[in-house]
Amino acid sequence: MKNTRRDIFKFAGGAAAGALLTPVPWRLIKDSSLWSENWPGIPRPARGEIRSKTTNCALCPAGCPLRARCVGDQPVALTGAGCAFGVAAHHLPYHPARLRQGPVEQAKAALAKRTPSEPIAVLDLNPGRTASWTFRRAMAALDGTYISPDPNPIAYDLHSVRTVLSVGAPLLEGWGTPANVLAAREKFYLVHAGAVETPTAMLADEWIRAEGLPDPLPRRLLENGPSLAVGDAPGVAELNRKLGAPVYARPEAPVPDAWKKQAAPVTALDAVPARGLRFLLIDESSAVTYIPWHLIEPKLASDAVVITFAVSRGGYARHATYALPAPVFPEITEDIPAAIDQTTQVFRLAAPLVPPPPAVVNASELVAALADIPAAAALRERADFIHMQSPAHPTPDAFWQALVDGYIWRGSPSLPAQSSPTQPRPAHDLPLTAVPAPWTPALLSPLMTKLYEESNLRLPPNAVALNPRDAAALPSRAVLQTLHGKCTVRVVPDASVPPGIVLAGSSPGIRDICTHGDGAKVVLA
Amino acid sequence: MTRYGMTIDVDRCTGCGACMVACAVENNIPPAHEGATDRTGLTWIRVFKVGQAFVPMLCQQCGEETPCVSVCPQKAVEVDPATGIVGQMPERCLGCRYCMAACPYHARYFNWHDPAWPPGMEKTLNPDVAPRMRGVVEKCNFCHGRWHAAKQQAVAEGRDPAHVEYTPACVEACPTKAIRFGDLATLPKPPGSVRLLESLGTEPKIYYRSSKVDLRAGKEPSRG
Repeated sequence: MKNTRRDIFKFAGGAAAGALLTPVPWRLIKDSSLWSENWPGIPRPARGEIRSKTTNCALCPAGCPLRARCVGDQPVALTGAGCAFGVAAHHLPYHPARLRQGPVEQAKAALAKRTPSEPIAVLDLNPGRTASWTFRRAMAALDGTYISPDPNPIAYDLHSVRTVLSVGAPLLEGWGTPANVLAAREKFYLVHAGAVETPTAMLADEWIRAEGLPDPLPRRLLENGPSLAVGDAPGVAELNRKLGAPVYARPEAPVPDAWKKQAAPVTALDAVPARGLRFLLIDESSAVTYIPWHLIEPKLASDAVVITFAVSRGGYARHATYALPAPVFPEITEDIPAAIDQTTQVFRLAAPLVPPPPAVVNASELVAALADIPAAAALRERADFIHMQSPAHPTPDAFWQALVDGYIWRGSPSLPAQSSPTQPRPAHDLPLTAVPAPWTPALLSPLMTKLYEESNLRLPPNAVALNPRDAAALPSRAVLQTLHGKCTVRVVPDASVPPGIVLAGSSPGIRDICTHGDGAKVVLA
Repeated sequence: MTRYGMTIDVDRCTGCGACMVACAVENNIPPAHEGATDRTGLTWIRVFKVGQAFVPMLCQQCGEETPCVSVCPQKAVEVDPATGIVGQMPERCLGCRYCMAACPYHARYFNWHDPAWPPGMEKTLNPDVAPRMRGVVEKCNFCHGRWHAAKQQAVAEGRDPAHVEYTPACVEACPTKAIRFGDLATLPKPPGSVRLLESLGTEPKIYYRSSKVDLRAGKEPSRG
């Protein structure tokens, strides 16, 4: 038999057609798909022994108990957090905006040149920690000033009231300890006063759509006592006094007597003389509040040296002479102060889950070194003191180990608070009223873009939301102007924002110029 | 045979977004690509503001006439007969997006970009879930990795692996316990619960309850 060229073609064609009826091409497709799924551009999750660690979240004073799921020593998931920020807190050490290096030696050299007569101060943006007491002791030794955003912090007891009036407070949006607020929420009637349709307004039993203290007061507040008003608006403290509301001094865990004797008093920023500071050290590494720069700047001498301990360049690092990299949660052992809704003393630690980068500086240790105060073991010293006061564990070592593993020590209840008068606002001709978004940590997981960019759930940090009527003549980018400055923002029309209100995002630029109730206007860029 | 499902009490949802972030952490969903919007983003569960309520939306895990299954030319979508979970197999998906067009709940998302995490953050990826490639469709699968882990645990403990209990990441993260999960045969459904677009006959397995909004009216973005 002689094979012709036609036979070869026929065989090849038949083989190709027949191959389709075999598993070969399908196998090829599947294998190539599998290969392309695992191509080198896609990161591969680490493999290893799955372990579990317990700790407490230090992003805010709520201090939610966390369980970290780890591959080896690397945390890959956190459970127990009461908010979106805490769920992804283990991403913070890897944030692209994380400050990892800074002029540490230059800052130390500048501080070393300071003469005893030159005024120095520490601004602590997370007061009530052991580090805060180290700052106070150091400032006492250096004849300096310890500045706190709120020298007389108060705490509210939500569990003992039947009616709560929230005056613009984000009560259900991370205002206090989420688990505590939600547990108490079942028992009280909530009236929310605020112009913007916030989640608290939407979930309140009654919503009064107006800014500030409502006039007349809701009848329920007066008739269904005990009642409580929460918020920073003028008149809230006075109203609580009239209502006999359960407002207490914010409790603080016991501190060694020797520390109290050698500590500088807590000073409000307002009490610092104008142009009175030559050196200002700002600890914003675990900040739970923000003081607009326009309030700090007048307190600085013309040749002032500002050193900030920051986790990113977004906050005071923009204004500082030296921005030093600080550790971020969960990189160091730190204690967590009491939250606004905690009326008993608590002492709990956030234990490190990952090591910090080599160049970061611990603010309290650097400040303590200036005054030759031993600070490295201050936390342990305080824990031992607390254990001595009320031994909950057999030995100090056992108590310390329990704290490192997430144990929460609870002490005695707090005492009623002394409220301070509110300051009047300056007159202005700005037609809009600013309502800033609730506080957010300085550094957020990159996954927060799910909330800010990939959905409309939250207002992006650099944006303002206006009623479509107010935003009608504005382009997508405009300038937000207040008495304290200007800032370029993205304009988002939002029908849920009433006319005359500007809902401002939480970017540092906006927070620098804008506080709740400020007059504002949005103009063309 | 287990039929996993969810109940979502819309009246309890505060719109905090913890479920969205927990889902992204659990399922190795990357952060937003530069320029991503609500139309091109990847959010297996997304919370919408509807009127004066927040409504979490995720794959409704249709039980009958599952639209995405019937249109997929690659058989990349299948209903697991053992659990009722609608599974998506990215290695089979060719990215035609027919399923996205067919899904009446708009609960499917397309991978427009290569998955990328900031340097170092790959270390925090969940080892139980493989990251997906560019060009495939993704959606909620009730945390299939956790179901597998629960099944393995049941086998190790000598229990019946066909009836395991586990908790998806969104349910675990919800601070108000608005989302509950379990076998629909035993999961208590709040009085007045509805399923979205029930008239289509797709037998979804997510039950919503709200006294504030008419969920049958559908969803709408409120901002932007």
